[in-house]
Amino acid sequence: MHDKGRITAYQMALMIYPTIYATAVLMVPAITGQYVGRDSWAAPILGSLNGFFTAYVLYKLHKMYPNESLIQYSKHIIGHFLSKILGLFYLFFFLYMCGFILKEYYFFVGISLLPKTPMIAIIGSTVIMASLAITGGVEVLGRASQLFIPIFILPIPIFTIMLLKDLDPKNVLPILEHGLLPLLQGSAAPQAWFSEVFLISMFLPFLKDPEKGLKWSFISVFAVMLSLVSLNLLTTFLFGEMTASYTFPVFKAVRFISLSDFFEHLEAGIITIWILGAYIKITVFYYALVLGTAQWLNLSDFKPIVLPFGILISLFAIWEFANLQEQFEFSKSIFPFYVPFMLTVLPTILLIIAKIRTRNTIKKKPPRISNY
Amino acid sequence: MFRILKKRPQKQHPIEGMSNRNLPLSSELDKNLQILKSIYKGCIDVIYHPFLIAGKTKALLVYIDGLSDTEQIDSSVLAPLMSKTIDKSINLQETCENIQLSNIRVVKTYDDCIKNISNGNPILLMEHEEQGAALGLAKWDKRSIIEPESESVIRGPREGFVETLGVNISMLRRKIRSPNLKMIKMNIGSYSDTSIIIAYIEGIANQSLIDEVQNRLQKVEVDSVLESGYIEELIEDNVFSPFPQLLDTERPDVASANLLEGRVVILVDGTPFVLIAPVSFFSFFQAPDDYYQRYLISSVIRIMRLFFMLISVFLPSLYVAVSSFHQEMVPTTLLLSMASLRESVPFTALIEALIMEIVFEALREAGLRLPKQIGAAVSIVGALVIGQAAVQAGLVSPLMVIVVAITGIASFMVPRYSEGIALRLIRFPIMMLAGTMGLHGLVFGFIAIVIHLCKLRSFGVPYLSPIAPTIGREMKDAFIRSPWWMLNTRPHLTGRINKYRQAPNQQPKPKK
Repeated sequence: MHDKGRITAYQMALMIYPTIYATAVLMVPAITGQYVGRDSWAAPILGSLNGFFTAYVLYKLHKMYPNESLIQYSKHIIGHFLSKILGLFYLFFFLYMCGFILKEYYFFVGISLLPKTPMIAIIGSTVIMASLAITGGVEVLGRASQLFIPIFILPIPIFTIMLLKDLDPKNVLPILEHGLLPLLQGSAAPQAWFSEVFLISMFLPFLKDPEKGLKWSFISVFAVMLSLVSLNLLTTFLFGEMTASYTFPVFKAVRFISLSDFFEHLEAGIITIWILGAYIKITVFYYALVLGTAQWLNLSDFKPIVLPFGILISLFAIWEFANLQEQFEFSKSIFPFYVPFMLTVLPTILLIIAKIRTRNTIKKKPPRISNY
Repeated sequence: MFRILKKRPQKQHPIEGMSNRNLPLSSELDKNLQILKSIYKGCIDVIYHPFLIAGKTKALLVYIDGLSDTEQIDSSVLAPLMSKTIDKSINLQETCENIQLSNIRVVKTYDDCIKNISNGNPILLMEHEEQGAALGLAKWDKRSIIEPESESVIRGPREGFVETLGVNISMLRRKIRSPNLKMIKMNIGSYSDTSIIIAYIEGIANQSLIDEVQNRLQKVEVDSVLESGYIEELIEDNVFSPFPQLLDTERPDVASANLLEGRVVILVDGTPFVLIAPVSFFSFFQAPDDYYQRYLISSVIRIMRLFFMLISVFLPSLYVAVSSFHQEMVPTTLLLSMASLRESVPFTALIEALIMEIVFEALREAGLRLPKQIGAAVSIVGALVIGQAAVQAGLVSPLMVIVVAITGIASFMVPRYSEGIALRLIRFPIMMLAGTMGLHGLVFGFIAIVIHLCKLRSFGVPYLSPIAPTIGREMKDAFIRSPWWMLNTRPHLTGRINKYRQAPNQQPKPKK
């Protein structure tokens, strides 16, 4: 084990929730809105099916190799050489995703909070903060999310109440006017985000109560689904068909809040709170990258490589997209195929191979290697 | 990286020329006297009193002036021994039987003698005896028990620990009369030889915790322990942290309450402050009053304390961030008045805030150490300088004064000085962050503090428990203080032993 920490399944769920939700809340309402219009509330429900499926697949794999992460146990399934190549794929994918999230973070925070601050300052400081938590290991991550996530979730009901007078539930009617096809198209983007529940594969080996792992993964996926549905409903109630024309409809909705001429322009506040969730998301992917690399290279400790990878992540973040529109288009067209391929399809193939191999050697128990 | 620094120097014998310290006492009285005199060379407060027991046997009484009860020595020791007339010479045992004292111990080496003499117990040595008697006559001037000044309460016991270890132990024993209150004694300090007591309740405190405390204390090798703060820094978990990881208290009731929750209390001779371990962040927000006043009021006050703790850490930074980066967040009318008030101020909000906060801290520190008469003068000057002159001179805006005032009041709401001062200091780096990156920097300051707190442990107990990691059962005494009839279980840190502290279903209600 590279990390001696132990977390509970509940802590893992609290880490996975912002891992899916923090950036989904930015992009998903606008993307689904473009396809399905006023039916956008249904898209996350369809998309979440992929989340449940991915969680189930990875839990099954975890049950076969309980003390290892995907990077480690793939060698029992497809052999040493192929597993190293697969591991490299995943590490590059994590690296790419870290850069992707950081850039998204920069576009959002930079544009709305700090328009004059240079990109390197925002990205660099975020990476430094994330590396702070990662050097503490998985335990610190779990505890930090226990503090941050309640603060992160709290604004949704509060702002809904504040917006009540502007909401028009009739905006959501008629339901499914154009049939099912636009809905399926619209759920492509959410399902990609839901496949990020894959990250449980890095945390399941650290669980104190592994038997609750699947339950809490499902709860976490369900909570994300519920949050996205309610936010999509909120924006539809508020804007109707216009939702798709805003880049960040949820934050546009917050701008609408105006209570007694005093509670106005709360978007800076909500972005501040959003940073907490985004921070957990960045940290989780960063941690997966660093821990995965340590496992891939059989390092005894992951802490020395945290900062070097921080620099690499910052570089990726600076390279990846030139502007928000480019990233938005990418999230709409390529992301829904690329991410689920890595996070859902490949693990499913691994599971199938593993099942076939264990059936062929039915008497032999699967190798359980623990590095305690 | 710091492993190199951890190398300890070899333990040396502290006092030179003491190679004969561990030797047994000689049977010749003159030789004993000579050796003791050589050990206590230059110590003018040591008194050697030779006398004859029953007019025959040569004897010697050694004690330190001021540490022993001389009246008792005269009346209970010298008078009965010198007045007797016995023909044959008597041995030590018979002599002791003639002394009217309850506490007499036999000493055999010079080392024993020295320990007893410096603790105030006179040593009785006799001719032809290879052992002496230590007479329990230690007595010195003590401070009387008064109300602890650092932790005053509205309702609750008005007694505080004093500088004498024996009195402190008796105060604990008076609160917890059960024989299960156990104590381990050890001495630390090669020169001061300070007595340190580890108190715990057997069957409630976790044995591994007691062992850990004992281990850490045994590793301490210093020349003196003049206050419990000396050992606090030598046994804490994380040394690179502004946050205290052991709770210090002057109150016997707080110490007893913590003993009953399975914690360990470390008493140090010479200081009224005892240490309590392990503790969590929320222990520092529990005032003794909370448990004596009505639970609803206590709970509200506790939530207020935590809220104002956040204010004291983040309000100046929030002001800096909002006024220099996010003016759109401020309602228009307030923004207009803010702008007109800040019009004449030459500094940016960050510099303004730093000036005011630093001056405030200086005033606080200056007022703390001064005699009470001058302290009042300082506060008048401070109020005038901070409050009025600075505003009139156009150095700071009145809004900043309000912010500093609220922050100052809020920071004094933390019941424990050690935690309060830590929180007061960390607001400066956060102000810098807010001044450079606005709300983004403020959130990063918050994240950094939380991550640091998540990494901290106090004797293995996570510092932020029971919030992170969440322990639902213990939330009843973190943000709120549940009524006593609900506080049925002890905290988790006691392990699984002796879980319940009282009978269930004690909520008072009419009989059905």
